[in-house]
Amino acid sequence: MDRAHVGALVRAAVDGDAAAWKALVEGLSPLVWSVVRSHRLADADAHEVYQTVWFRFAQHLGRIREPDKAGSWLASTARHESLKVLKSLRRLMPTDDAQLLDRVSDDRTPEQSFLDLEEAAAETERIRHLWQEFEGLGERCRQLLRVLMASPTPRYQEVSVALGIAVGSIGPLRQRCLRRLRARLEARGAV
Amino acid sequence: MDDMDNIDDINQINEINEIDDTDDTDGDEGLVEGEEFDLDLLEEELRRAAAILDPVPPALRQIAVEAFALHDLDAEIAELTFDSVVDALPIRGAEDAPRMLTFHAGGLTVDVELGAHGLMGQVLPPQTASVEVLSGPQAGSPLSTDAMGRFTYDEPPTGPFALRLRTGEGTLVTDWLTV
Repeated sequence: MDRAHVGALVRAAVDGDAAAWKALVEGLSPLVWSVVRSHRLADADAHEVYQTVWFRFAQHLGRIREPDKAGSWLASTARHESLKVLKSLRRLMPTDDAQLLDRVSDDRTPEQSFLDLEEAAAETERIRHLWQEFEGLGERCRQLLRVLMASPTPRYQEVSVALGIAVGSIGPLRQRCLRRLRARLEARGAV
Repeated sequence: MDDMDNIDDINQINEINEIDDTDDTDGDEGLVEGEEFDLDLLEEELRRAAAILDPVPPALRQIAVEAFALHDLDAEIAELTFDSVVDALPIRGAEDAPRMLTFHAGGLTVDVELGAHGLMGQVLPPQTASVEVLSGPQAGSPLSTDAMGRFTYDEPPTGPFALRLRTGEGTLVTDWLTV
């Protein structure tokens, strides 16, 4: 989603435009999901936090001071809610990465269906390797890259509030983490 | 900017950030020509991988679309002002202690205690009100307070949680949170 439209969509949604709301959900869901996932919540918790963030956004819609920065509002709320859920002891359960890799979703996206095709097996392998090496990165890199891989690319302001790191340090850190990932892929002979 | 400046900048930033990994063999040489492009490509590949291996579950997205029903400009928001998960020191050996929440709106306070057996709450100052326990955009279970403003609910809420209260003065919805 073009972030330039976010403010106008928020204002339209405040006035009751359901299509504008839907566009916000479509455009900013990957950001919210990425922030939640970057905090390594178990599946059930991640689902709940994602919902809470959107319920809260709907509730606060008419009171958001800077509609243009709704992405940052969502990212910040997602971080806040994720940390809180992690803090309640009974929920300390790491994501099962192996399970994630093997997961077969009932709601298959066109991309997933495409990957089912036999001729795409090599591509599947490549993507799995990439994901495994990504998961093997240090916690800080893994977290930053998981937020950055939201689609469309998040603004640095959004990344900053999603992870509580200064905007100015995101670029250098990103560079470093991507290099590290590339080195891991090269070591594996997967490039 | 020449390469030396670049190296200095990056080193400084690394110190500030206290990068956690010990593997320092890569990353400290400045940007070589064309590298930024390569890294952009790698990031784009990661974006594709995430879209395939860890996309937003479509059912969740649908719930978010339906959440527009929660947009209610007439309802006052009761802000969460105390949450024992964040604001209270943990008590040793008391993992099962109930979660205490306090919400404020205007002159009204709502205290809630979430335990393994359900929830108890009280509206202060004491008054009768109808209370709905919400878990999403759909209507929640209706409860009423007694004359002291107290209410109980036998099912422990899980997941997204909010209360909608109708008092003599209007409608009030608590901040959403995850329980």
